[in-house]
Amino acid sequence: MDALNQLPLNIAATIRSLFGDSHSIWADLTMNVINIILVIVLIVLAALILILLERKIAGWTSQRPGPNRLGPHGWFQTIADALKLLGKEDVTPAGADKFIFKIAPMILFALPMMTLAVIPYGKGMSPIDLDLGIVYFLAISAVSTLSLLMAGWSSNNKYSMLGGMRAVAQMISYEIPLIFSLLGVVMITQTFSLSKIVEAQSTVPFVVLQPLAFVIYLIAGIAEVNRAPFDLVEADQEVVAGPFTEYTGLRWGLFFLGEYGNMTAVAALTTTVFLGGWQGPAILPGYAWFFLKVGIIIFFQMWVRWTFPRIRIDHLMGLAWKVLLPLSILNILLTGLGIYIYDLVLRIGG
Amino acid sequence: MGNKEMLRKRVDELATKVNGEVEESLGVLMLKVKGAYIIETLNGAKNFPEMPCDFLHDLTAVDLGNHFEVVYQLSSLRGPQILRVKGIVDRENPVIDSVTRIWQGANFLEREAYDMFGIEFKGHPNLRRIYLWDEFEGYPLRKDYATESVEQRAVVMPLKVGD
Amino acid sequence: MAVERTEELTLNMGPQHPSMHGVFRMVVHFDGEIVTKIEPKVGYLHRGLEKLAESRTYPQFIPYTDRLDYLASPHNNLAYVQTVEKLMGLQIPERAEYLRVIFAELARIASHLVFIASMALDIAGWTAWAYCFRDRERILDMFEMTAGSRLTVNIMRIGGLSGEPPTEFWPALKSFLDDLPEMLEEYFGIFYGNEITQARLKGIGILSKELAENLSITGPVLRASGANYDVRKAEPYGIYDRFDFNVPVRYGCDSYDRTLLRLDEIIESAKIIRQAMRDIPEGSVMAKVSKIIKPPVGEVYHRVENPKGELGFYIVSDGSPKPARLRIRSGTFINIQMLPIVALGWKMQDLIAIFATLDAVLGEVDK
Repeated sequence: MDALNQLPLNIAATIRSLFGDSHSIWADLTMNVINIILVIVLIVLAALILILLERKIAGWTSQRPGPNRLGPHGWFQTIADALKLLGKEDVTPAGADKFIFKIAPMILFALPMMTLAVIPYGKGMSPIDLDLGIVYFLAISAVSTLSLLMAGWSSNNKYSMLGGMRAVAQMISYEIPLIFSLLGVVMITQTFSLSKIVEAQSTVPFVVLQPLAFVIYLIAGIAEVNRAPFDLVEADQEVVAGPFTEYTGLRWGLFFLGEYGNMTAVAALTTTVFLGGWQGPAILPGYAWFFLKVGIIIFFQMWVRWTFPRIRIDHLMGLAWKVLLPLSILNILLTGLGIYIYDLVLRIGG
Repeated sequence: MGNKEMLRKRVDELATKVNGEVEESLGVLMLKVKGAYIIETLNGAKNFPEMPCDFLHDLTAVDLGNHFEVVYQLSSLRGPQILRVKGIVDRENPVIDSVTRIWQGANFLEREAYDMFGIEFKGHPNLRRIYLWDEFEGYPLRKDYATESVEQRAVVMPLKVGD
Repeated sequence: MAVERTEELTLNMGPQHPSMHGVFRMVVHFDGEIVTKIEPKVGYLHRGLEKLAESRTYPQFIPYTDRLDYLASPHNNLAYVQTVEKLMGLQIPERAEYLRVIFAELARIASHLVFIASMALDIAGWTAWAYCFRDRERILDMFEMTAGSRLTVNIMRIGGLSGEPPTEFWPALKSFLDDLPEMLEEYFGIFYGNEITQARLKGIGILSKELAENLSITGPVLRASGANYDVRKAEPYGIYDRFDFNVPVRYGCDSYDRTLLRLDEIIESAKIIRQAMRDIPEGSVMAKVSKIIKPPVGEVYHRVENPKGELGFYIVSDGSPKPARLRIRSGTFINIQMLPIVALGWKMQDLIAIFATLDAVLGEVDK
């Protein structure tokens, strides 16, 4: 088990040993390239699997088979769909702001690559181990608002515009409780580094110490990735497909990849911060634990999506500003109080 | 006095007032008046004491060759009374008062009658074609409307932005 | 210095829009997300049925009525054939009357199931949609085994029905009715009982009783505004006076009550079908009708309680085999008039929800 656990690290060490000096600039460069490729592969694979999973879960909740034609149980359906998207004509609307229109999906696709690069997938297995991991993660994921607004604005379509505006209103509002809910954990661990936060959870995951923050993060996270019941941005009953209305083919596919990538990223951060990341009983290697927990969070998100109707925009904003934000501030207060009492007890006891 | 007789009495009273004639067809009373009296008639029917015919079910027109009839199907949510009022409209100059001031619900119905028969409803807030496009020529439900074959018909619908 | 100003957004919703229930179109003016003006535009599905009727014989027009409210086609058939029968003074066999009631009420249930489904879908409750369609399928199967088609059933004839339902129809009907309470409970659980649904629909789009009456609104929309009016009770057609059922009325006047009222109506329809199943006599399903139907000179306005509202046919006969004038009074065409009045001042999402509560079927609106 230990060998399996260390397998990725050993492979990395072997690759490094191919170079004369295993910490030379060339060795680092090679490793970085490999890491980048791995993250891209992760996103694409995650999107392929998640799309299939989503459709299967949708089928399961609504008591129908879901995709079941191509391959065993329809498992190859998303591959076929991806190939179909590749073959579609790339249409740019005549009145669109062409440069912004074309760059918007790329930005959205780039974001999960950047965020997923700092997640510790196992012990010592962060592609990049940043000291300010959480800050970096939040800063990058906030940019997705911009991408959606760019797409909505540049499409020169009123539905897209409305969707883009909704995206800004919604995502900026939910950013605040999202960030505040993470502060409790940061206060306890006294660090912004994701790998150190995971290591701090070796005995007990923070979901136990910070249940309120966990719930706030989960809700705000769903709103942050624009999934039902907070999918006002791409609400097809109202704004057709929001910012994505005018996109076709591969560009639309990039949005799709970006969406699922963001969803994975949010689930990965939830796992890292609240569920103990790669920590788990030694029956499975660390990275397996990690992906299992991510899968559970994603399943939860999908389950919610296929069960709830969509919330109205003023209720959505009310939830962010009147419920989640005060609760997250309360959580910070309680955490501070808890830390103070803990210190006091330690001092009296010690 | 049964409902039927009472309604008959009220309709007769109204008929003498508006110079109309009362008929009965398959058990339903019909009051035929000149188009000019239609508002007075319908107001009267709406305010029949004890059995008001205050719910407008339908408004349509019939082409009878030499004149049109605008047909109002009235009843009430509070009783079994049913009344059909017909306003006779001249074919050459099809004008009748709009009843949208009595029943807002007549709005679409009058537009439809205008669309299909070309009857002008005076005082209608927005008397435009409802089903067909504004440039359509002719009034299809008139008996003299010539229906062309598909081959003859060259329908060109102009695209109007912002309509 | 440039003066900052805001501008109203004019949005053209439809005819191609996901939640316009077909090809309805409205030009909506928005102040941000708030609706300031609505102009409904209909006619994209106009087929000129009233004109077509003038060049068709009476029996030839029956299939056209299927295309009116295509979610409840037996009910449209019923309205039309009863109008012609009333004009001719035709009595039809008892068994046919009962079968007509059964099919009409099944159609009502099917139509209301689609309503619940599309209502849920318009506020993004995908799963409730799937449940309702799953159950509607069983009604369509029953239509199929009797008439051969599922949507445009075309089952009624002037003088009776096209045929006797097969033997497997009755067990299917019984098992459907037995399962119905469980289905309704399921819809309640996934849709009606959901907090978000209730927040989305309760108190939204108030249509007062006075306004509804003034707008000639009929059907479930009227009854959800507190008016106890159902043609089946007010002017019973066919044999509806023999059945014991209630007219569900709700007093909330809002979207939620309009939605919930459909659920109540399904329960009442099931009651009627059960009574019809119990009482149905043996016999033929078709009266003796001459090959060429020539009603006497006269005119008749006959109305039935369609699932969407009151469906009336006004036929003027000149004694020939073709109607001189056939007028279709469709419920939703008139009900739609409430939209520009009621939805003002609500959010865009509420507009979609209010429109969904009208249960518009464009086949009926555009004729």
